[in-house]
Amino acid sequence: MKKMSSKKRKINAKTESKKTKTWAILLVVFCGFLGAIAQLLLKIGSERINESITSIFNLPLLFGFVFYGLATILFIISLKHGEVTILYPIIATSYVWVSLFSSYFLHENITLAKWGGDLLIILGVSLIGYSSKISSNTGVNK
Amino acid sequence: MITPTSSIIIALICAVLGGFAQILFKKGADNLKFDLSMLKNYPLIFGLGLYGLSAVLFIFALRNGELSTLYPIIATTYIWVNLLAVKFLNERMNIYKLSGTALIIAGVILTSVI
Repeated sequence: MKKMSSKKRKINAKTESKKTKTWAILLVVFCGFLGAIAQLLLKIGSERINESITSIFNLPLLFGFVFYGLATILFIISLKHGEVTILYPIIATSYVWVSLFSSYFLHENITLAKWGGDLLIILGVSLIGYSSKISSNTGVNK
Repeated sequence: MITPTSSIIIALICAVLGGFAQILFKKGADNLKFDLSMLKNYPLIFGLGLYGLSAVLFIFALRNGELSTLYPIIATTYIWVNLLAVKFLNERMNIYKLSGTALIIAGVILTSVI
């Protein structure tokens, strides 16, 4: 009996520490945003590459990598404060930012199907975010 | 342009490697400290290694294949992360996570194929 209750307490403590913090979720949303800025910069930088080898050292490309690295570091920090099954899918919001940026800054044509896909991604991420608010209350493990 | 099977298989390997990288990131993040102990944070280091390897491999897949075919394959990473997190991190799935993952993958297919 004693053994079981301590085990139960351990499991409870474990689920407690696994709760995904709201600020961790918001930080990953920000990572998705930074990642999209990185994509935009990499696209602009890649178009400046020509026959000359030094053309790969251009500012947009460099900053693209910096933003990419920054997004990765912030994501790892946020992982410390939540479940990977909640936080990783939120990175997909990046697709939505990429659509917005490439339409606004690069004047790319975003088809209705693409916007529809973005909408599905937002719905999916919202569902997963919502589950972080309820899964922490369903105490049973397994 | 038809994407060769070899490119599809490489992209699938990238997705699985990317999934393992996320699990290692999570393991590394749990012991994350911003000091010299980071150099001994092997899950973090291996995670970054796998992440880089996956990115480089994907470039090889892209050389012969179409992005619209290969991107949805990369999106299977969302499935691998869920499976691996349940197996190695004892995280639990629920109907919201499952349907959310399905919606995201459907969304990626819509944004990249059509």
